[in-house]
Formats: sequence, C-alpha cells, structure tokens
Amino acid sequence: MSQAPVVSLQNVSKRIGGRTIIDRLTLEVNPGEVFGFLGPNGSGKTTTIRMMVGLITMSGGDITIAGHSVKSAFPQAIARVGAIVENPEMYKYLTGYQNLIHFGRMNPGIDKARIDEVVALVGLQDRIHDKVKKYSLGMRQRLGVAQAILHRPALLILDEPTNGLDPAGIRELRDYLRKLSREEGTAVFVSSHLLSEMELMCDRVAIIQKGELIDIRSLRTESAGVSAAMEEVLFEVDRPSEAVTALEGRGSARFVDGGFSVTADRETIADMNARLVAAGIRVYGIRVKIKSLEDQFLEVTGGETIG
Amino acid sequence: MKIYRRISTWIMLGITVVIPLLFTIAFVLLTEDNNANNWEAMMLESQVLFLLITIFAVVKSSETVAGEFSRGTIKLLLIRPWSRSAILLSKFISIILFALLFTVVSFAVTWLANVVAFGYTANPANLISDQSPLAGGSPWAYALRYYLDEFITLVVVVTFGFMLSAAFRSSGLAIGLSLFLLFSGTMISGLLSLTDKAWVKYVLFPHLGLSTYLNGGTPVPNHPTTYAFSLGVLAVYFVIFNVISWTVFTKRDVSA
Repeated sequence: MSQAPVVSLQNVSKRIGGRTIIDRLTLEVNPGEVFGFLGPNGSGKTTTIRMMVGLITMSGGDITIAGHSVKSAFPQAIARVGAIVENPEMYKYLTGYQNLIHFGRMNPGIDKARIDEVVALVGLQDRIHDKVKKYSLGMRQRLGVAQAILHRPALLILDEPTNGLDPAGIRELRDYLRKLSREEGTAVFVSSHLLSEMELMCDRVAIIQKGELIDIRSLRTESAGVSAAMEEVLFEVDRPSEAVTALEGRGSARFVDGGFSVTADRETIADMNARLVAAGIRVYGIRVKIKSLEDQFLEVTGGETIG
Repeated sequence: MKIYRRISTWIMLGITVVIPLLFTIAFVLLTEDNNANNWEAMMLESQVLFLLITIFAVVKSSETVAGEFSRGTIKLLLIRPWSRSAILLSKFISIILFALLFTVVSFAVTWLANVVAFGYTANPANLISDQSPLAGGSPWAYALRYYLDEFITLVVVVTFGFMLSAAFRSSGLAIGLSLFLLFSGTMISGLLSLTDKAWVKYVLFPHLGLSTYLNGGTPVPNHPTTYAFSLGVLAVYFVIFNVISWTVFTKRDVSA
C-alpha cells in the first residue's frame, strides 16, 4: 500500500468579513489511518470539514484528496470521499432504500447488489423499506453511514458521528470504523467532542483551537518503546510510609490516598513490588498512570471553550 | 423520483384531471341551448387549468432548490462527483418535464371530456375571432397554439420561481413572490400602460400574456409589438433568470 497521504491540507485559510476563522492549517492523513480532529466549541472543526468537501470555499491554501485538488478538480477529488456533515439529513418522504438508490445514482458503478450489501453492513435490513420519517436517530445515523460508504471511498469524513447514538450504537460504529480502516485501507477523518471515544478509536489526533492547529499526537504507543519509558506508577498498599521506607527512597515517592506514587520504568516497578512483598507490605494494586486524552487536551487548549 | 413520490404531486395531478371534468359536467347540466361545442368548453377550461398548473409548477420549482437547503439534504447532494452546474441543470430539467406533463394531461383531459360531452365539431363558429392571425383555420391549430403560448409563459414564470428559490433558499419566499408577481402582473402592466411610455414594451409582464396575439390583440396597448418581439423579450428574461440562478448556486458557501 502506497504511503502517499489520502488527504493533505496545505496552508488552508478561511476569512469571513475580515475575521480569520481558519489560519494556515496544514495536516495530512494516511491511508488506513483513523485520524481524530479535536477542538473546543467554535474552534473551526466543522468549517474545516466543510472546506474539505467543497461546501465552503477556501480563502487561501489548497486541499488535495487522493492526488486531486478540491479547488481545481472537484469531481475527481470528491469521488473518493464519503462524508456525513453534522446530522445526516435524508429525504423523509422516501424510504431508506429509495434514498440509497437516489444517492447511488450519482456515483458510477453502484448497483442493487452493492446497496443490499451496504444495508446489511449497517444492520438496517429490517427497516430499509420504511419511510425515513419513521426512523429513530440511531437508524438515521446508520443510514447516513450507508450512503457515505456506497462507493467505497478512500476517505471517510465524519463530523460528530456519535451524536445521538446509544452506547451499543457507539460501540458498533467504532468497531466498524476500525474494521474499515484495517481491512479496506479506508482513511477515516473524525471530528468529535467525545474524547474517550476518540481515545479508543483514533491512531492520531490533531488539536485545533481558534482556527489554528495546536498539535498532532499519536495515540498508539509502540510496545518497543514502552519498556524504557519512565512513567508515573501508583502503588496501593496498606502501610504507605513503611512501604516507602522499605524501598529505601528509590525514586522520589509522593503519598497519595491509599498508597504512594513514584516515577519508574518497567523493570524497576517489578523490583519494587518484589521488595515490598519481601518486607511484608501488602500490595493491593499497581497502576500505571497514563495521562488521558482529556487531560492532554485540556492542558493543550488551556481549558477554554469558545474560540 | 423525488417529485413523483410525494403525495402532493399526485394530488395536483388529480386536481388537474378532476377540475375540467367538473366544469364539463357543469356546462352540460347548465346550458340549455346546445350551441356549446367542445372547443369552446375546452378553451374555457384550459384557461382555468393553466392558472392552476402555473401555481403547481411554481410550488414545485420553488421547492426543488430551497427545499434541499431547508431540509439540509443539500449537503449530501453536493458532496458527490457532480459539478454544481450539473446538479442545478438536472433540477431545472425535472421541473420543466413536470410542467410539460401537466400541460399534456390538461390538453388530453379537456379535449376528451368535452368531446364526450358535446360531440366533436370540426368547424366551430365562434371560436376564432376574425382579427386573429389564425382566422379561418382549424380549431386544432388554435388550441395547440394556445397551449404552446401558455406553456412558454409557464416556463418563464417557473424559471423566475426557480431563481428565487436558488437565491433566497427559502421555498416560502420563492412561492409567495412568484405568485404575487404573476397575479399582480396584469395590474402592473395596466398601470405602466397608462404612462404611455415606449419602454413599457421591455417590461416582462405584458409579454406573459402571449395568447393575446392569438385573438388579434397586442399585449401593450398603443405600442404594438409582434409575436417575435415578445418571444425575444421573454428569451432575454429567461436567460437573465438562469444566469442569476447559476451564479448564486455555484458560487455561494453552504454553511447552514
């Protein structure tokens, strides 16, 4: 699989009436990657997505999808994209099936077999011939995903896809997206507020605030690198002060409720445990404290909400 | 597909069929003398029907663009490998086909119903006035010409509604303004004629009454114009409306 990025934003800017809403945004998404797009309310996530799909014009810069520029070669660029922007609006007076036929006609090569296949994939076989006005929100979301994947896009763009889904629905969507990215090599670009979901789903995340790219981080740590990394470890013990004494002050320990925490690497953790047990201390639990995405996010964006 | 799956379309079609039937029945029941002939009845009903058809077509044409925006489905429509021009054109064609369908149905139903009720008359006496360019000709030519004229007018009005729909993205506004201008058009023409200025010839409204030529008159009193001239004026407005629709639809951001 070639490693040329599926979508590349180069210095993308948007100005409205003198205000710069998006400022020289540059990022890339690789094939088969689930890429998260995070930001506080009003930071410009939806605007960026709308520019990627051609709903809004760019004031500056360009966006390339599968090698085609969205500005100069729109139909070729967008042919490889499937998207759900905000709520997936369907024609309520048509059935789900008729909706899919309608949208399917606009892309070449989609036949009845493919529509049936997609309906089965999103689990709507039983209700697909009902009018959309009778669908629940979860079903509409699934129909939205169906119309987005009909033409086997190289890039799937989702703006807040978990809106209104129950936990089972969220779990299904997450599994499905990961499956898509692994098995079909589809790149998935998701913008969401649900940090816990993003943490579970994404390979990399970009954080945007006030129209500017703040950071891009990788969420999947390579197992090779972990053993050498120093991490904060929490030991739950019955007698914290004695425990620390037993460790002879190895690493600076801080007392916390129910135990103590130290900074140590993988091997030292095992050593410490052995020593504590040998000294008769009861060890109830050992936890490696990974800074959650939420903590990182709030730290990087300074906890502000409106851009 | 979208137009024909809506109940409203079928109701409109139903009305188009039923109204002339009702009229015909009324004629039969109410006229004592049997001088009434199928052609006269047909023309009378057609006048009424075209008014109805215009309203129906304007409603549909306003809905087709503005409805996508208000329903939010425009987003899904535009994120497809089609240029915006192609999408707009396909919508326009679908509306024209709708108008054509209703026109043809109207012709068929009025003709059939009245022939059934009154019998077929080959040379109706009072149908075509002596001043008409078609005087002495066949009633078929007259009826077809009438329908053609009205259809052309219909197309121009519908294009106007379509333009408003694309520009304002609100179907209510598009329908309201189009119908207002349609109905007050005669009044406005009348007012403008009072001024007796030559440029009144270039205003749209008088020329929407193309069928006045049929009866030997001209739309703008005191400033005679020819049929070709009217067609020309209508064509210019048609082009202007479409250019506006196209520009507005293709260039603007979709942020709603």
